[in-house]
Amino acid sequence: MILRLKDVCFSYEKGEGFIGDLSLSVGEGEFIGLVGANGSGKSTILKLCGGILKPLSGGLLLWGKALHTYRNRDRAKLISYLPQTLDASIPFTVEELVGMGLYPYDIPPAMTTDDALAMVGLTEKADAHVTDLSGGEKRRTFIAMTLLQGAGLLLLDEPLANLDIKYQIELIRLLKKLREERNISIVMALHDINIAMQFEKVVLIKNGSILGSGPPGDVLTDDLIRNAFDINVKIVRNPHGRAYISYEDNF
Amino acid sequence: MKAGIFFIILVFAAVIAASLLLGPSVINPFALDGTTKVILFSIRAPRVVVAVLMGAALGASGAILQGILRNPLADPYILGISSGASLAAASGIVLGLSVFGTFTIPVLAFIGAIVTGGIVGILGWRRGGLWPERLLLAGVGLSFLFSALLMLLLSLSTTEGLRRATLWIFGDLSMSDWSIMPYGLLFVAGGMAVSLWRAKALNALILGDELTHSLGFSPHRERFLLFVAVGLMTAASVALGGMIGFIGLLVPHIARFFLGSDNRLLVPASAVLGGALLCVADLIGRSLIPPMELPAGIITAIIGAPYFLYLLRKKNVLSF
Repeated sequence: MILRLKDVCFSYEKGEGFIGDLSLSVGEGEFIGLVGANGSGKSTILKLCGGILKPLSGGLLLWGKALHTYRNRDRAKLISYLPQTLDASIPFTVEELVGMGLYPYDIPPAMTTDDALAMVGLTEKADAHVTDLSGGEKRRTFIAMTLLQGAGLLLLDEPLANLDIKYQIELIRLLKKLREERNISIVMALHDINIAMQFEKVVLIKNGSILGSGPPGDVLTDDLIRNAFDINVKIVRNPHGRAYISYEDNF
Repeated sequence: MKAGIFFIILVFAAVIAASLLLGPSVINPFALDGTTKVILFSIRAPRVVVAVLMGAALGASGAILQGILRNPLADPYILGISSGASLAAASGIVLGLSVFGTFTIPVLAFIGAIVTGGIVGILGWRRGGLWPERLLLAGVGLSFLFSALLMLLLSLSTTEGLRRATLWIFGDLSMSDWSIMPYGLLFVAGGMAVSLWRAKALNALILGDELTHSLGFSPHRERFLLFVAVGLMTAASVALGGMIGFIGLLVPHIARFFLGSDNRLLVPASAVLGGALLCVADLIGRSLIPPMELPAGIITAIIGAPYFLYLLRKKNVLSF
């Protein structure tokens, strides 16, 4: 088990509970979709997993050792976190930005900036300014930085947001390929249920608690989705047996 | 990239040589006599060193602040440090204080700068760290307050006090001598050392606190260290020769144009270019209509702003 959260509690304001008694574990090579409505606590959970937020109580173990006991740089070699909004107010080039993935290391690992750029298909954009890239290219640039960082666990907060359907599919394919090639684990927050249907494992979140966790067929059911998103939906299947969500009411 | 570094070093060397040898009287370095030796070593050399120190401090501070505040429009004066320094120095001049002998005005300016930096830091502090937006707003707010107090002071002062205080505020390098240099050098070199040591973290800070953390740095600690470095360098710069506008804002953009945005290179390059630009401005200021001298701060803006606007027409100097 790479990361284990046990009875983690957290709140932003004193006295107001937000994440309550959350337990979750991430195994090697797992690709987990964290699904929930806006404000359900997906980002907060990812930030807790990455050590960006500190839990009020409960334990977080990274490779069996308490997360907060790791030195910043050592932790950075094991976990990397990408926030939802990626921005650079200063025009770094793609190569400069991706190269930051090596910052936790004194002796750089085997992978080079060029390798990382090739993996995400941005070799030709190496000298472009990040500020000039499209949303999809910008996202891939940051993914390349994360890959260069070489962590075994990637925490991605809504990486599909602001991407059109083509880029969404491309990004998921890229992440799946990377997972197969390098056996990394990925936890990704998303709110598109149709995309979550194709994950191997999903965790459904509401109000900072887990409503269900497991294969989509078990978790993304009519009842649980209605509960999590507070909408009237129905799961339908196409002739190939693939599940989709259908919104029942008129707009 | 390599060509860019070489170019900047070459420009710097040429500017230093020109600043030492040119001026109202041109000096031939191979035929020095008593008078030219005095001009070279006691008048021009300290002046050039002060200009380099001030320009370097402002250029580097500008690059760092644009990073930690995540704002390409930030400059060292945006934190109000210079307004505090000016108010303290102008008070000293107008009231005719001499508590620290010949060092009175620089020491007052330095104290004013450090106190202001401290207040900005306290106002910008919340939940265990400095926050960029709070720092920025606290700096702007204090700046307005101190500027208003400065205007009040100047409007109440005598003509002679007003003239001397105004000259100081515009940036007056003509009083430079060797005595104060070691102190200036100490703070500027200290600030530079911290900035270069933390340059990777500065790059990460530009991407936001969460990515800074993810890349293995503590964002609050890094921002604090860099804020202190900027505070010391800006305070030293203002104490050495008053306010020089423009360098802190625009030199980092010019350096970025040649060398890219990596702060490991950008911070030292901004320092070198800032030093060179202030030397050129001072050379022009003292050569144009001798024996009168034009304040270097005005010249930096007059030669720098059009060049910056020209660069702006090219792509990618600014991110917007």
